[in-house]
Amino acid sequence: MATWRHCRLMLAAAAAAGAALCGPAGLQALARAPSARQPAQARLAAHFRSGTQSAPCDPTASLRPVGPPAVTPGSYMATIRARGYLIAGVDQSTYHFGYLNPLDGQIEGFDIDMLHAVAAAIFGNPDKIRFVSVSDAQRIPAIRSGKVDIVAHTMTITCARLRQVDFSTVYLDAAQRVLVLRNSPAASLHDLRGHKICATSGSTSLAYTRKYFGSARPDSAVPVPYWTDCLVLLQEGKVAAISTDDTILAGLAAQDPETKIIGPPLTSEPYGLASSLHHPDFVRFVNAVLAQMRADGQWAAIYKHWISSRVPPPPPARYRS
Amino acid sequence: MTAGSTVARIPDTGADQPRRLLRLVERGAIAGTTPAKLRLLLIGVLALSLIWGAVAAWTVAAHASATANVLSVSEQLSLDAQQIYRSLSDADATDAAAFLSGGLEPLSLRHRYQADIAQAARRLEAATAAAGNSAAGSRLATLAAELPVYTGLVETARADNRLGLPVGAAYLRQASEVMRARLLPAARDLYAQENAQLAAANNQATGIPYLALTVAAITGFGLLWSQLWLTRRTNRLVNSGLLLATVAGLVMLIWLVSALSIARTHLISARDRGSAPVEALARADIAALQAHADESLTLIDRSGDDSFQQDFLVWQKRLGPGRGTLLTFAASLAQGSPGGSRARAAASGAPAWFAVHRRVRSLDDNGKYTAAVHLAIGSGPADSGGLFGRIDTDLTDAIAADQSAFRTAAVAGQNDLAGLEAGIIVLSVLMAAGCAWGLSRRLAEYR
Repeated sequence: MATWRHCRLMLAAAAAAGAALCGPAGLQALARAPSARQPAQARLAAHFRSGTQSAPCDPTASLRPVGPPAVTPGSYMATIRARGYLIAGVDQSTYHFGYLNPLDGQIEGFDIDMLHAVAAAIFGNPDKIRFVSVSDAQRIPAIRSGKVDIVAHTMTITCARLRQVDFSTVYLDAAQRVLVLRNSPAASLHDLRGHKICATSGSTSLAYTRKYFGSARPDSAVPVPYWTDCLVLLQEGKVAAISTDDTILAGLAAQDPETKIIGPPLTSEPYGLASSLHHPDFVRFVNAVLAQMRADGQWAAIYKHWISSRVPPPPPARYRS
Repeated sequence: MTAGSTVARIPDTGADQPRRLLRLVERGAIAGTTPAKLRLLLIGVLALSLIWGAVAAWTVAAHASATANVLSVSEQLSLDAQQIYRSLSDADATDAAAFLSGGLEPLSLRHRYQADIAQAARRLEAATAAAGNSAAGSRLATLAAELPVYTGLVETARADNRLGLPVGAAYLRQASEVMRARLLPAARDLYAQENAQLAAANNQATGIPYLALTVAAITGFGLLWSQLWLTRRTNRLVNSGLLLATVAGLVMLIWLVSALSIARTHLISARDRGSAPVEALARADIAALQAHADESLTLIDRSGDDSFQQDFLVWQKRLGPGRGTLLTFAASLAQGSPGGSRARAAASGAPAWFAVHRRVRSLDDNGKYTAAVHLAIGSGPADSGGLFGRIDTDLTDAIAADQSAFRTAAVAGQNDLAGLEAGIIVLSVLMAAGCAWGLSRRLAEYR
């Protein structure tokens, strides 16, 4: 852990020079993962052919931006600017993505930096954000009730969710894998049949794990509110494994050197920033911000700061026709 | 107790016989002669004297032991339970505030948490030793089993927080869950139980001794009747032996009644100016502590589901001030007691605290999180933490003052009964001797 923090400090101070030398195993594994994976689109296509979705839908295609980000009069962005701050639903427990840093009481991470970029585009000030911590299960209700403008919360874009909320273009590709204690003999999720596996309620990971083991073992998946709650259960020996996105698992592994990530990527989890179906202008605006970040290297800088010094190309933007 | 019961056992076996004999004497069924009647009368008044003495001694012993029970057992257990409940609530609130301070927690909060846990453990051990295998056992067992679980989770959270790891917050959530779902309910039930026992012991110690008063009336009547009978038979106005017995019996009665009523007054004052306000004040203090913990937990949680804030509002409503609220009730019970003025100060300070709490919420709701945290945990006179601290100090001072008032009054009540039991034994022997002397002199005239 100390090495990673040290690593972050070095990154901040002296760019990338010594960064490749440090970083926990979990993050190295994550950094390797994208190159090992098949292209996201191909896997998704295979996913749909298997018949899990009823309506044909491409979850990774979003609304096309109208030029660079601009707060036009009468738009939802203008409403937000008049209010004085962006209200963002975030995670406070996922290390390196959205977490409350106990050392300074600030919410930080990769997802949070995406929001800072959106706030900067609206206000010219990246800090005009009011963070509302939401659990996985609260993400969609928080958007639909209008409690938050936007959710940045390691949230996978799925067709089922697209019927309830709108998503930006993909800002990160993740894949579900498994975290176990270092001395576990299990090599993949398959070996964990009959054991308890932790996931947060309302997550795609919980649904996948339940489906994977079928109705024969309804108690195999243990739902909790936050991912760190899973780590507590794993450390206390109350579950045998945690299964979710490699991004989240890397953050958990970074908090406990006695854990390891195992098995092949099980699913594709394209992350998007979620907002209300009623504000397509805001979705286009966010996509414009993301397009800018992909182009000007900001995305790569944030990736390097939070995830790995081996920066892959950002997920390409795809737009609905 | 022992003295009373041994004295009581001797006349118990013959209690019926002399009375039946007396009735037989009156009807002239047996021993129609005056000497025989005198002999029976002697047995009768002797028995009455001894019964009265025994009952009086037993009554005093029962009241003395109930008073001792109030003072040394029930009050101690109730105090232990109260301190366990309070320390645990305080640990919960302190821990949340320490987490909220971020990074290195303030040393004062760490020390306060440590003192709370040490106090809870010490009181738990004392209560367990004193409770034996009473009904409190299962609650004490829960507390003893869960306290180390709680502290273990808190220390893990602290270690993780020092490393800047968010899993620390998850350990803290779990610790708080153990505290609120298991430890605090057990402590609350234990306190309620020990308080009920204290109230029962107090009722027993202040009860009216109906048995003793009845026996006193029968004995008085018996002695009076005997003297009238003697006057008729012997043409002597006064039998000095029986007179002596009557005076001794009367002295016993007056001493018993006055000592018991003075002790009763002291014990009622111990309750009304001591244990009753202490209980109400402790309940208000614990409610304030839990509201304080809720305020911090709302800021820590940030989940926007505002269950901690709802909990705070419930406590706020119960605290008052206002009709039927904890603070107003405690202040009214404490009125006239040594802690009265501090209790009033606590009740009048609450609205200011709640007003600042509303400002904390509005700051947080408007995205000014850091300012909200500072206002919540600050210890200045305009901060929520400081205002809560003043109420807490007022209440704990009032509790301490009334607790010592309780002890003083209860000890006085115990002292009121000092020497009474020995005096009663001496007087009842004197009574019996008077009867024997007076009647045997009349009996001798027939030899």
